[in-house]
Amino acid sequence: MLVVREPMRVALALITTMVMLGGIYGLLGVHFIAAFQVLIYVGAVMVFMVYVIMLLEVREAPGNTRYSRFLVPGVTAFAALVGVLGISVYRSNAEILAVPGAPAFSVTQFSKAFLSQYWLEFELTSVFLVAAIVAALAVIKVSRRAHG
Amino acid sequence: MPLLLPHTLALIALLPLFGFLLNGFFATALGGHRANERVASIVGCAFPIAAFALTIKAFLDLQAGGFTPIVEPLYRWALIGSSSFEIAFYFDRLSAIMTLVVTGVGSVIHIYSTGYMHADKSYGRFFAHLNLFLFFMLLLVLGRSLLVLFVGWEGVGLASYLLIGFWFDDLTNAKAGRKAFITNRIGDAGFLLGMFLLYRAFGTLDMDTINGAFLTGSEVAMIVPASLVGLLLFIGATGKSAQIPLYVWLPDAMAGPTPVSALIHAATMVTAGVYLTARMSGIYMMAPEASQVMAVVGVLTAFFAATVALVQTDIKKVLAYSTVSQLGFMFLALGVGAYGVAIFHVVTHAFFKACLFLGAGSVIHALGGEQDIRKMGGLRTKIPVTFWTFAIATAAIAGIPGLAGFFSKDEILWYAFASAKGGAPWLWGMAALTALMTAFYMFRLLWLTFMGASRMSHEVEHHVHESPISMTGVLMLLALLSAGGGYIAIPHFLEAQIPLPPIVESLEHYEHTLLIVSIVLAFAGLGLAVFMYGGPPSRAEAIKQGSLPVHRLLSGKYFVDELYDRAIVKPLVWFSDVVLLRGSDKLLDGSLNGLASLAQRSAGMLGRMQTGSLHLYALLVMVGIVGALLWSWRHV
Amino acid sequence: MDRVTLLLWLSGALFSLGLLGVIVRRNALVMLMCMELMLNGVNLSLVTFSQQRGDAAGAVLVFLVFVVATAEIALAIPIVLLLVRFKRSMDIDRYSDLKG
Repeated sequence: MLVVREPMRVALALITTMVMLGGIYGLLGVHFIAAFQVLIYVGAVMVFMVYVIMLLEVREAPGNTRYSRFLVPGVTAFAALVGVLGISVYRSNAEILAVPGAPAFSVTQFSKAFLSQYWLEFELTSVFLVAAIVAALAVIKVSRRAHG
Repeated sequence: MPLLLPHTLALIALLPLFGFLLNGFFATALGGHRANERVASIVGCAFPIAAFALTIKAFLDLQAGGFTPIVEPLYRWALIGSSSFEIAFYFDRLSAIMTLVVTGVGSVIHIYSTGYMHADKSYGRFFAHLNLFLFFMLLLVLGRSLLVLFVGWEGVGLASYLLIGFWFDDLTNAKAGRKAFITNRIGDAGFLLGMFLLYRAFGTLDMDTINGAFLTGSEVAMIVPASLVGLLLFIGATGKSAQIPLYVWLPDAMAGPTPVSALIHAATMVTAGVYLTARMSGIYMMAPEASQVMAVVGVLTAFFAATVALVQTDIKKVLAYSTVSQLGFMFLALGVGAYGVAIFHVVTHAFFKACLFLGAGSVIHALGGEQDIRKMGGLRTKIPVTFWTFAIATAAIAGIPGLAGFFSKDEILWYAFASAKGGAPWLWGMAALTALMTAFYMFRLLWLTFMGASRMSHEVEHHVHESPISMTGVLMLLALLSAGGGYIAIPHFLEAQIPLPPIVESLEHYEHTLLIVSIVLAFAGLGLAVFMYGGPPSRAEAIKQGSLPVHRLLSGKYFVDELYDRAIVKPLVWFSDVVLLRGSDKLLDGSLNGLASLAQRSAGMLGRMQTGSLHLYALLVMVGIVGALLWSWRHV
Repeated sequence: MDRVTLLLWLSGALFSLGLLGVIVRRNALVMLMCMELMLNGVNLSLVTFSQQRGDAAGAVLVFLVFVVATAEIALAIPIVLLLVRFKRSMDIDRYSDLKG
């Protein structure tokens, strides 16, 4: 994904990654999250991205490289970050899963928790989405005004 | 006669203050010249005369009460913790004498000033300042505690500064005023230290309490290092009463108007140190070392000032050095334990020195401002009243028998020789030599100013006129007092309060011998002066040429001022300028500027991070995460 | 090597790769997609921990992250559209008006 030139191909790579992640969630036993992953991420977010990529037919100037000027420092920092993260994880005591493959909790359990104990987060999601809609409308207005 | 006014003493002190306020507000430029000269002089003179009248009344009350001291508390000034400081007035024999002299001589000098300062542009301010001086001087002599005395002490220093620099348009006068004030302050440091020691020991600053404790030998008094306290108080007296090494302000103080020189620098302020010592005589009786120092410093001052006066050519400077010399005599008397005699000399000195100064003022007035005696002469016939009063006062100071100065000076010489508390023949010897020199230079002054052929320029000679009655009347009164003042036996009057020192028995029979020696010395001085200056001027000139190096040394006042300037003043000025002023400038400005520029530079450096490039920001985020994780290894 | 460690490594790798992508790629849209990758990495670690502890809190957070990602994309893309329209380029380096 990082080395491919065209944005379209990058998008496709990302979609593949997300689907695979959905598979991993399924294997972990959290089926509903896997469903959500594919439904929301791939089905809404990536579709939107693909629309936009197709909309903006970008004609890059020839000779324009893909990479910014922070390539070398970026890769160095990346190596450092990976190293540090890996060593952190390695040092921590990670327990073995209780029963491999068996769902640790079900949708029922999740829904009950979501709507009783974490009801605030539930309400916040709706607020958040409304805010997103309003902001999108505002952006449209700006673009409309810019065009007279 | 009972006291009709319960606050007589406070009134005595406060009346001149009212005069100051009235004149200060209405007769000065601040008040807009609303009052003319006559009103200013009436206000200025009335209050001191009223104070004098009240003083007489208080004295009569004191006498009626058998001379038990009158104490008059006024109010409590401060209550700090458990110690209270009160303003109270105290009237006993010593205060009575001093107050009578201050108010009496003060009043007549005020009257004289109405004539002398006539048509001066700051007439009202002069009387305001003079009244202010009287107020503080009365606080000084009437105060009960050292604190009130100190307020008066500082206040007269202030008034002296204001009056010396009265004609401040001329920078020299202003500088002289400043020099007087600063030199006094140096002495005051010693005074304050002495006060601190006394307060710590006694818990009070009331002078009668402290003195009484020392006289009766209480345990508290025994612990106090009397010599140290005595020396510290003496340092204060050195500044105020112009002894070595702090006398240098007095000759320069002649820059002020002549009535100021008469009142402040002859009759009253400079005697404050003598008064202080006499008041605290109990301490000095317990402190032989401090008394010895006092006597030696006194006689040395007297001697050296007299030598300088021999060759001075300004009429007021001769009188100034003469004052320093006579003050030395007073401290000599104090140093050998003859406190009453010193006060006696204060009184007679007030009479004849004031008469001399006012006479000099009359001469200056007559000559239209000339003060150099080399340009005078032959005034005897032209201003006779001035001449005769001046001559009587000169005879008094020289110690011609029968006049006031003879009695007081002779007593001092006698006690210097024979007092059991520090008298020594060498003290007497130096003092006697000084008396000889005093007679000589005073008659020299008289001859050069009044006798002989006139050396004045023609316009000056044309305008010579006798002074108005306001001036000559005062001169006559003071001359009378100079003549007859010696018959008031002050030492015996004071003996009930301040005992005279015992005489060494083996020396008792010398008394008459020394008396005759004093008389001989006085006439010898007269004779020498007539010999040198009565004849042709070439005689004096020849003697001067013969001893030119000595003459130069004396004319230059032993170059003491120059020494002080180079050794003390210049280093201080350098220190203030280079280290304190410029150094602190650089320090403060530098640190502030440095801080500001540090903030600027660091802001500039941080500002370079805001490039607007998202890539850079993301890179910094990554680096930050790595750093945070690394930190968490160490600390979590 | 047990499963949790592996999954956590994978999650860390996904996150780091996403961040690296934000640093090195010039195209605005590609940068957005790399940010999505980062979010996915975080999701994976959340799910792993939730499974490990049997706690529903992790799943709730995952849900919230979904919502946030959606909203973010809904806003980011119009912004990018407007930017591209004004700057006529998708190169991030041209968008440095907030410099200084």
